[in-house]
Amino acid sequence: MLRDIIRKEILDNITSPKFVFTFLLCTILILLSVYTGVANFRAEKREYTASVALNRKNMEAQPNYQSLAGIGVKISKPPQVLGTVVTGVEEEVGRVATVNIAYDPTLVDSKFGSNPVFAVFGSLDLTFIVKIVLSLFAILFTYDAIVGEKEKGTLKLALSNDVPRDRLILGKAVGGYISLLLPLLVPLLLSLLILLIAPDISLGGQDWARLMLIFLMFFLYLSVFFSLGLFVSARTTRSSTSFLVLLFLWVVFVMVIPKAAVITAGQVEPIPSVHEVTAKKDAFLQQVQSEGQKGLLDWIQKNQAEAAKDPQGYQDRFKRFIQDYQQELTTRIDENNAALERDYQQKKQAQQRLAVNLSRISPASALTFGSMALARTGIDDYDRFLASVRAYKPIYTKWINSKLGESINFQTGQTVTLKIDDMPQHVFQAEWLSRSLVRAIPDFALLVVLIIVFFVGAYVSFLRYDVR
Amino acid sequence: MLEAIELTKRYEDNELALDGLTLKVEPGEIFCMFGANGAGKTTTINLFLGFLPPTSGTALIEGIDVARDPLKAKRHVSFVSENVTLYGNFTAVQNLDYFSKLAGKRALARKDYAEVLERVGLQREAFDRRVKNFSKGMRQKLGIAIALVKDAANVLLDEPTSGLDPQSGREFLEILVQMRDRGKSVFMSTHDIFRAKLIADRIGFMRKGRLVMMKTAAELAHEDLTDLYIQYMEEPPSAPAAPLAAPAA
Repeated sequence: MLRDIIRKEILDNITSPKFVFTFLLCTILILLSVYTGVANFRAEKREYTASVALNRKNMEAQPNYQSLAGIGVKISKPPQVLGTVVTGVEEEVGRVATVNIAYDPTLVDSKFGSNPVFAVFGSLDLTFIVKIVLSLFAILFTYDAIVGEKEKGTLKLALSNDVPRDRLILGKAVGGYISLLLPLLVPLLLSLLILLIAPDISLGGQDWARLMLIFLMFFLYLSVFFSLGLFVSARTTRSSTSFLVLLFLWVVFVMVIPKAAVITAGQVEPIPSVHEVTAKKDAFLQQVQSEGQKGLLDWIQKNQAEAAKDPQGYQDRFKRFIQDYQQELTTRIDENNAALERDYQQKKQAQQRLAVNLSRISPASALTFGSMALARTGIDDYDRFLASVRAYKPIYTKWINSKLGESINFQTGQTVTLKIDDMPQHVFQAEWLSRSLVRAIPDFALLVVLIIVFFVGAYVSFLRYDVR
Repeated sequence: MLEAIELTKRYEDNELALDGLTLKVEPGEIFCMFGANGAGKTTTINLFLGFLPPTSGTALIEGIDVARDPLKAKRHVSFVSENVTLYGNFTAVQNLDYFSKLAGKRALARKDYAEVLERVGLQREAFDRRVKNFSKGMRQKLGIAIALVKDAANVLLDEPTSGLDPQSGREFLEILVQMRDRGKSVFMSTHDIFRAKLIADRIGFMRKGRLVMMKTAAELAHEDLTDLYIQYMEEPPSAPAAPLAAPAA
């Protein structure tokens, strides 16, 4: 009997105009989204490769170490291949950080910043389509699942037989869910094929595992709205009321809660603005620089008499002094910046945690955070990359300071030829799958809990449903 | 056999929908129940189908207490509703196939469905048409076909002839007669006293949840139906107001 109910449910759905409409729209949107994602990734990858090469060429073209210290090293953030399906914050945040002696590195030159027209239209990634469009389809498939049958009289007719209600709701749920997945599966499989054959896209074993987990999260997210639809349909007596209630809940879950969570977190856990932090860093830098100038003059004054007596010895001592002194000053700057940054990051993370936790009542937020963690395109991944650049800064400054000290010949005024082969390289270790999964587990768990809550609600409501 | 013993239903808002109904519909009998809207006819059917728990009393189908074992009781009853639209995207055969499987009739083939559909007067070319394109009469015929396929010993019909054209109405009555002739107990709630007179073995009138009158077909033969309807269906006039006291002399 259960099989008959499931079969009927699938047949009833797939012969309806809404199925045809959903199938066509899903196919167009999903394929368009993956095609755009692939095109964007290829462009980003080209841009990244060109940027790395240009940076090296620029550094090599500098006449000396002083000049190199002036321009600094540009570190580009490599694009994430799974950004093709989950853009995350990739387009909003900067892609390049300049590391030099003085300033604390930050990522600048975001895609939206360099071309604001992208920001106007936003990105049409797969997560956006699932979060906004497909969740509405899930509602469209379920808002009349029970109440619609009551209105048609078929529920009364079905239950005039010896059909247990629990079997009927289970059959409806399974059949309805299969009907919803059918228009999704074909375009999703096609999009996998695109990823497989697209040039410049190479997905490793971990990437495929991540992709499958992202798809699993999509299905769980849609199941939440599917179960919610069943629940509301089993609690209402008119399908128009059911649709309105579901639309209201959809707006609350998808639009209101995520925004409200960020606003609330901003009020509860305020953080200083980036400008405030930068101003503090700049003030300290100026203070250290003036102290440095004074220290340098003092040293020169103190050792002036010796310069005439033993110029070679003076130069050697000056080199050592300038090397040590520069290192001492930059260490002070770095330590101060690190302390300020640590404080700022702690406050920011507290605010982010609060916003994320508050917004997680919404399945849309769970989907956003979970899929971003799996695709490595989220805020945490941005923070990790920036932290790696900041960790690289003292390594670089130590190297450049040592080079600066050695590079000046006071007697001839000549500088040493610049060589960057021994310059320490910035290394960024992308997050392992196991770590990403740990971050995504709360989101998986939340989606599963919501599915259970709504489905149990629908189940219990249907057992007591007034079919008259 | 359908049997109600002191069957009473009082809703949560304290409205008394059915007040101590005692009735037996024997095998091979058609019982037509009349009453204004809200008189208690549909409540009676809902109690027999287990869609409502009775406040007191018992509804029995083939001697099985519906409240105690609704699933078992429902194996022995078919139901035809007033305005069932069925699954519009399905054809007549697909609708019939689904409901027959719900009724536990799994071994039926297309020829069996065709036979039943023909029996209820549905044109052959309509068998594979989507039901959303059916007229109300065609849908009612399909509803009857669903009941016929189940082939239960008892049939409950809730105003099945409302909105049917004369031809469809006549065909419908013929099928009910066939059912009776096969020994089914048929309980039909209706407003259509003229059609009911043609087939009913007994009729009953309900008012405010109470069965206020019951007549056999023989008794009905000599009655003026319009008078009877007015007599039992309309609210009796309220008692006249007390005359004004005569002015003092």
